[in-house]
Amino acid sequence: MSTAVTKRGDVNPSSGDAERADYAALVRMAAGGDRDAMERLLMRAQEVAYRFSLLVCGHPQDAEDVMQEALLKTYRYVGRIKQPDAFRTWLYTTVRNACRMKRRRHVGEPAHVSSIEQGAIGADGEPASIDVEAPARPADQLVMDAWINDRLRRALNALPPAYRMIVVLREMEGLSTREVASVAGISEVNVKTRLHRARVLLRQALEGV
Amino acid sequence: MSDAGIGECRAILAGISAYLDGDADAAACQAIQRHCRDCAACATVVEGLRETIGLCREAGSVPLPDAVRRRARAGIERLLASGKRPAG
Repeated sequence: MSTAVTKRGDVNPSSGDAERADYAALVRMAAGGDRDAMERLLMRAQEVAYRFSLLVCGHPQDAEDVMQEALLKTYRYVGRIKQPDAFRTWLYTTVRNACRMKRRRHVGEPAHVSSIEQGAIGADGEPASIDVEAPARPADQLVMDAWINDRLRRALNALPPAYRMIVVLREMEGLSTREVASVAGISEVNVKTRLHRARVLLRQALEGV
Repeated sequence: MSDAGIGECRAILAGISAYLDGDADAAACQAIQRHCRDCAACATVVEGLRETIGLCREAGSVPLPDAVRRRARAGIERLLASGKRPAG
């Protein structure tokens, strides 16, 4: 797939608005009893959960449990939906929280590893690079290796967790700056600052792997 | 970093993400493009970040492994077959 560049310099503007509207339409149809819409929505929820578990948290062994939680919570949520346009933000926040809780439930795990968005703070006051990747089972590792470009995955893992989440949500999942800010619980200005630094670090990591 | 001076390069580099996201105004876009014509180092950085963003976006569109999709599909079927209704 080639990467288009517009005259203004931007790379393939993501279709975030269309995606958000698509989610909202699915939620409305599912809430109205459309089984096909419900199935598609539940599949998307699980896909989001799987990608987030692996790419942001780096814990393939948790992915199945987080998928199950996303499945059940989405199913319940659709029955009491009031703002279909806010569904996407709700879904990513739910998945992020499920990943955090899953980590906390692991016996003997240091508390700081549970925090996706905080991570360790370096001497410069910015998130420092820490290795949050737990040892993966061989089968999980094989699935990951076959799924995503190994060079990119290793470069992502080299990022501080707080930066990794911003990159994944913004670049890979196509959320808007406002949506990322809502999911990550930081300001839009901070999202932009972290995204820029993350891109630079990711580039350096890609050149080094 | 360039003949135009490190200060100018720093200013350009600080605005690169806005430029690549399409958030920079026309004047800023022209300034970056003009600078990069004369500064190979900054031009390389811009191209490198552009490639990095493209790589991430491509990865984001890759379908999940078939085995994972099958398990997800099975989970949906079990849930819908259980007869439970979403909480209203």
